Amino acid sequence: MPETLAARLNEDVLVASILPYYVDRKERLDAYAMYLRTPSGRERPGRYWKIDLDKLDISGHELGTLEVKLPASLPPGVVCIQLAEAFERYGTTLPWFGLAHGKFAALTHAFVNGGALLYVPAGTIAEEPIQISYRAQNGAVFPYTLVIAEERSQVDIVESIRGSDGCFVAALCEVHAKEGARVRYASVQELPSDAQTFSSRIAAPQKDAAITWATADLGAHLCVSSIDVLCNATGIEAEIDALFFPHDDQHVDLTTTVDHRVGESRSTTLVKSAASGAGQARYLGNIRIQPSAHGTEANLKDDALLLSKDAHIDSVPALEIDANDVKAFHGATVGAIDEDQLFYMISRGLERCAAEKMIALGFFEPVIERFSSQGVRDRVRAALEAKVTA
Amino acid sequence: MSHSGLRITDLRVNVAENEILKGINLAVEPGRVHALMGPNGSGKSTLAFALTGHPRYAVVSGSATLDGQDLFAMSADKRAKAGLFLSFQYPAAIPGIKVSNFLLATRNAVKPGDLPPAKFRQLVMEKMDLLDMDISFLGRYLNDGFSGGEKKRLEMLQLAVLGPKYAVMDETDSGLDVDALKAVGESVNAMRADPSSNHTGFLIITHYPRILQYIKADRVHIMIDGRIVKEGGPELANEIERSGYDTIREETALHA
Repeated sequence: MPETLAARLNEDVLVASILPYYVDRKERLDAYAMYLRTPSGRERPGRYWKIDLDKLDISGHELGTLEVKLPASLPPGVVCIQLAEAFERYGTTLPWFGLAHGKFAALTHAFVNGGALLYVPAGTIAEEPIQISYRAQNGAVFPYTLVIAEERSQVDIVESIRGSDGCFVAALCEVHAKEGARVRYASVQELPSDAQTFSSRIAAPQKDAAITWATADLGAHLCVSSIDVLCNATGIEAEIDALFFPHDDQHVDLTTTVDHRVGESRSTTLVKSAASGAGQARYLGNIRIQPSAHGTEANLKDDALLLSKDAHIDSVPALEIDANDVKAFHGATVGAIDEDQLFYMISRGLERCAAEKMIALGFFEPVIERFSSQGVRDRVRAALEAKVTA
Repeated sequence: MSHSGLRITDLRVNVAENEILKGINLAVEPGRVHALMGPNGSGKSTLAFALTGHPRYAVVSGSATLDGQDLFAMSADKRAKAGLFLSFQYPAAIPGIKVSNFLLATRNAVKPGDLPPAKFRQLVMEKMDLLDMDISFLGRYLNDGFSGGEKKRLEMLQLAVLGPKYAVMDETDSGLDVDALKAVGESVNAMRADPSSNHTGFLIITHYPRILQYIKADRVHIMIDGRIVKEGGPELANEIERSGYDTIREETALHA
């Protein structure tokens, strides 16, 4: 079937006018070229990690259908619409793909086939979380989310990513938080165990703005994520809270980057990961404090818990500090469940495996508690419990 | 009834191939308070861990029974279910597990379904009140960021909530100020006075006689170098207060 052939992920599909028109052919081809030539900068295959992210063959995937669910009712002035409609309404007036960088952001840019725009007017405080749900059906989808929070606005976003068996999701999300805006973006990824996902999340807060990324990567066989905050102004509060838990032979690679280019801003990064079975993970936590970024405060803490002999987590905090007069802390731990903790609990009557489960689930709590919605917290807890029991 | 009690017979225990306990005989009677005193390194904590089944403590020979049940044939959680409780000298901090959840999980483990939720809450509140603990404790993570005194109070709260048949209190008094020590004493005495309680037998391990001013011991056992070298009534604790362990050490060396 010619249609099927044309729908395979390669240059043909980019020139075949199958993809939505709002990103033109040339822009897509440029992005695709960027994807091909940009090194992933990710974990290399070795004793533990089995997948070469620089030599991924995506041409085996066919273009799938992206289902996008957005809230039916919104606070006055807030806009949350499908991408196609957003391009029609706002054309070139919005900073589409203005923050995208990196190999997998370029991949989404090339093939983007849906997504959402969320616009929050100045001074608007959205009390209820805005729910954005993406579902990948039968193949590869490329959701793009653009969030623009105008001055002094406040918004809480909860994104959910699900899909059908064998799906492929390359998602890109950009957040522009204007002066004094406060944006919380929580994302829960629960793709099936044979899915592959690549996600790039980038925020550029302005002066006195606050951005929180809270992510739970729970599903997929391969999950490659990056979370970036570019601190280009003073008074910014940036927070990254992330958890992931590869079990069976899941592979997770997360890179977080807080780039302090201007001083007098604060950032906190908290990452909790566990691995069981033959689960593999790499976490790279970048904190950059550039020479002029005086008065920066940056914190990074990551803890990794290994629940089996074959599980492996490579945890790399990377601090580059080129300014004086800054406060930067980092702490990293990796290890198995502590025997003294275990004995304490068992000696109170809990069976060993029940105690191990409680400790493993408790381990994630400091991150779970940073998800602002009770519903999301419960969903994350349930998913982690299923993994611990698996 | 001849089986009742926590009975330890000729117990020898190694830690990392070193013999620490060299034949201990000791019986804790239900409803009684036994003090186990001795200098640092005499093996008191080893006895506590061996009884509760810590994997680093290897029982070489001897036996321990709890109301006739062979403790060493049971895993550590089964010993707790049989009614044994150890109050740790250094309780582990476990982030992410809330005190309230842990109390409920452990109570359900040792006494499944014996209290409806409302009664359970009431029990916890009463015991916290007695220990002068604020309700905010329940929402905190287990021993995480707790001061020394807070940790010991939480151990006493768990002891009171679980209501074991026998409680081993390993140096609960160490590092406690007078107020905390008083609260510990009141909690134990309340358990002893409560007719609905389990008639708990206590083995109070301590270096100093100070705690025995707050909890009256029925019997005092002195341990030196992995052996019980002297036993007596509460007056024995006063003797330690006056002249320390050296006199006893010399005495027993003469007899040896």
